[in-house]
Amino acid sequence: MSVGLMSLVGYYEPVWIQILKALVIFAVALQLVPVVLIAERKLLGRFQGRYGPNRVGPYGALQPMADILKLLTKEQFRPTTSVGLLFALAPVISILTAVAAFAIIPFGDVQDIFGTKVGLYGVDVSIGPLYLFAFGAVAFYGIMLGGWSSGSKYSFLGAMRGAAQLISYEVSQGLALLGVIFTAQTLSLTGIVHAQAGMWYIVPQFVGFLIFLVAGFAETNRAPFDLTEADAELVGGYNTEFGGGRFASYYFAEYLNVLVVAGVVTTVFLGGWLLPFGIDPPGWVDPIVVLFKMSLITFLFIWVRATLPRLRYDQLMSFGWKVLLPLATLNALATAVLVVVTH
Amino acid sequence: MSAVLFFIAATGVITGATGVVVLRDAFYSVLSLVVHLISLSVLFLLLRAEFVAAVQVVVYAGAVMVLYVFVVAYVGGEADSLGERLRGAGPIGSGLRRAGAIIGGALLVELLIALLGTGLEAIEGKGAGYSPGPRTFGTPAYIGNLLLTRFLLTFEIASFLLLIAAVGGVVLARRRGGIGEEAEDAMRPLELPRPPGTGTMAEGVGRSVP
Repeated sequence: MSVGLMSLVGYYEPVWIQILKALVIFAVALQLVPVVLIAERKLLGRFQGRYGPNRVGPYGALQPMADILKLLTKEQFRPTTSVGLLFALAPVISILTAVAAFAIIPFGDVQDIFGTKVGLYGVDVSIGPLYLFAFGAVAFYGIMLGGWSSGSKYSFLGAMRGAAQLISYEVSQGLALLGVIFTAQTLSLTGIVHAQAGMWYIVPQFVGFLIFLVAGFAETNRAPFDLTEADAELVGGYNTEFGGGRFASYYFAEYLNVLVVAGVVTTVFLGGWLLPFGIDPPGWVDPIVVLFKMSLITFLFIWVRATLPRLRYDQLMSFGWKVLLPLATLNALATAVLVVVTH
Repeated sequence: MSAVLFFIAATGVITGATGVVVLRDAFYSVLSLVVHLISLSVLFLLLRAEFVAAVQVVVYAGAVMVLYVFVVAYVGGEADSLGERLRGAGPIGSGLRRAGAIIGGALLVELLIALLGTGLEAIEGKGAGYSPGPRTFGTPAYIGNLLLTRFLLTFEIASFLLLIAAVGGVVLARRRGGIGEEAEDAMRPLELPRPPGTGTMAEGVGRSVP
């Protein structure tokens, strides 16, 4: 099936399939987050020469369940200086944008399931990565409003750092993707995967891959760029005043964002559901391949968190603007020249 | 379905736009502008202009409004807003109000002419349909083609204007001491591998490199 038709799949699928897909994707996202949670705590434990959680369930595997249950049954409270409506709205925005961004990650090609053609992704939009950046832009308001409406200095400082960090690294992230888009000549994410049939883009676009990954660390507020939370300086940053279910929402959104970045890196640079050496497995293997590659990237996220110290704020800014941005621009320029010359 | 979405989005657009003007607190004004812009992007989506919708959110809600929020959250939040100051300004204030009313009325008339001229013709239309192929209306490929062929000159002029404005912004900020004096110093050749501000202990305690 050609790439042009692929991008239209989202439109001719019946409504009930789209609803079903939305539910399945949400369920998968909901199940993945506790797995990442326990994996991170276990791995961090190993990195630091301790056991990590090992009390609840076999090998401590039920620890996230206990955590979530504890958070959800806690009392909802807010500071007297906070703004009630925005305080309640902010975590909702965070979680909404994270789940929405998850929708465009393709877990496989269009499959024939019981005679119905179903694309194994939420929706294949013609604007591709722009959709992602649009929701990333809205996600900023989740953090910003959370920090501002708390009515607390620590939260406010965390939110402001988040704002500056987000607009600084979003540019480099977008420019890093430009190289791939030039080469693939399509914005559709499934189209980009199909274009990687010969060679995954991590090889020709290695610089872009590195820039995207680093900017991804910054966009998800993960170590070493977790200055929005910076527990040593700001208690908990933008989520200092949040407790119970609302804190759980922020927590959920953060890990879901990690998964989204891992999914995008998988799709754009690691060949999505494609396997190396021309192995062409049956269609039901595709989601497993994608999940495996995503877990590799998530492992990298955890590894980096355990290894690198947090950057200072001015280091973060000068790195973003003076190193990452020129590099990303050069990468995009060089790719553009190469594409024009070789065509 | 699209009619329901249209009315939800249109309500958002109008409520947001009204909120910008009516609300006293500058922070809430900015927030309702964000609501306005996001609802506007939903309207673009309904018109099959996916690219414009995404750009609307990325550029306006994501970049421009972030800066607005940034500034307002830092310096705003005072009780006396622009409206209070205008009301207390005496004859100048009332003159401004009158001028504002005239300009607002003129804008309304102009917009109404434009709306009645074009909107009523299109109100029965269906908008562009989905059809396969790279030249489909509203897709990035289509818009990109137009920008680099038919509207190339306009596009380049606009980009130059933006570049000039950006450089001008930096220059103006410098004049007022927005950027410190040390940024003026030329970089020494030894420092090239490590640009200033990328972090040494000496810099951390405020002592520059000898």
